[in-house]
Amino acid sequence: MALHLNLFHEEILEQRQRQRDPLKIGMIALVVCGVSLFLYYTWNAYQTLEIKSRLTTVERAWKKIEPRVTAAQKRVADLESLIKTTRALDDYIDNRFFWAPFLQNVSRCVAPNTQLTNFTGVLLDENKGINVSIEGVAAGREPRSVAEDLRQMLLEQLGQTYSEVKAEFKTLEDLDTVVNVGGTHMATAHYVLTVNFNSAPEPKPAKSPASPRARK
Amino acid sequence: MRSTKDQIKKLSLSAIGFVFLLYVYFTFFLGPLNRSRDGMLLKIKDLQSKLDSSKEEMTKAVKLEQRAKTSTSRFAALKAFNPEGAPIAWFPPRIRAFFADQQIDKAVARLEGSSGFKQAELSEWMKYSWIIDLPRADYGTLGRAIAELENTNPLLSITRLSIHTLPEQPQFQHVDLAAVNVIEKK
Repeated sequence: MALHLNLFHEEILEQRQRQRDPLKIGMIALVVCGVSLFLYYTWNAYQTLEIKSRLTTVERAWKKIEPRVTAAQKRVADLESLIKTTRALDDYIDNRFFWAPFLQNVSRCVAPNTQLTNFTGVLLDENKGINVSIEGVAAGREPRSVAEDLRQMLLEQLGQTYSEVKAEFKTLEDLDTVVNVGGTHMATAHYVLTVNFNSAPEPKPAKSPASPRARK
Repeated sequence: MRSTKDQIKKLSLSAIGFVFLLYVYFTFFLGPLNRSRDGMLLKIKDLQSKLDSSKEEMTKAVKLEQRAKTSTSRFAALKAFNPEGAPIAWFPPRIRAFFADQQIDKAVARLEGSSGFKQAELSEWMKYSWIIDLPRADYGTLGRAIAELENTNPLLSITRLSIHTLPEQPQFQHVDLAAVNVIEKK
């Protein structure tokens, strides 16, 4: 075997060592990494700028439309409030108790031999209850039955329009006074009637369901 | 190949430098950029939703305006029932004139009090309670007058009615009315 002498072996080793210098490799890696990060940052910055321009456009559009939207929102709120108020007022108006028809009903019940001297009607709060006190004098052969007729008439007449009608005597007493009605002398009785009712009409009974079987 | 002590030292320094570089990069460059981008995206989303809803709002306003025509005119009509000014200034003369037209003279209206409504919708309206005194009326005329009063004044409601016979003139009665009138706050 021939002897081969490498006289440059030290120089070659040094060169190899220089090439494999970890510091140098590290610096190269650092530079590559830095460049990558810089490129990533640039890409992000570009995207951000694009988003910023989009934001400016949207902001400009919003600024343009905002006064109209605010006005529209205010108008909607005003209109909604107005509708609600009108509805509430209409409810209030519809739920009023009308005294004139009631007075007409009472006048229908009063016979010529009955006189009303005092009448007081009170609307009881929101529950639509009405309380009426009727005071008067009834004349007849049997004045108490005349007063009772008035009570019955009131029950009948008011029951046609209102619900939960109650008419009760608070006082019914014979008087010593004799009056002349249509040329006839009649005994008299003093009465005080208390009438209570609800202004809502009597609810109609629900229709019974039709018989499924046909009549034969 | 074994690294020398000097090389290890340099490598450690490079690693520390790299970590520092990353920290600076993420904290002072990429972080704020991303935050600002996210903020802008949120703002765009918010504005976009506002823009989208604004179209609906405006359409809604137009549609509501059309639907509310009846309510608007009704509301204006109800408001017109009560003139401007303090109710105490115009209500008693109006009542006196009204009953005079109905052949019932010397009607006197006195203010008893005022109160607000419980309902939020009627917070701008007040209930004024009045005592109306009719010293001399006959039953038929009174009935017709009350019917007219109730029909022509929808915002007025009679809460108490008291009729007493006049002892010296049994064909006439003395009447007291308690009425509530709904009036808009001024």
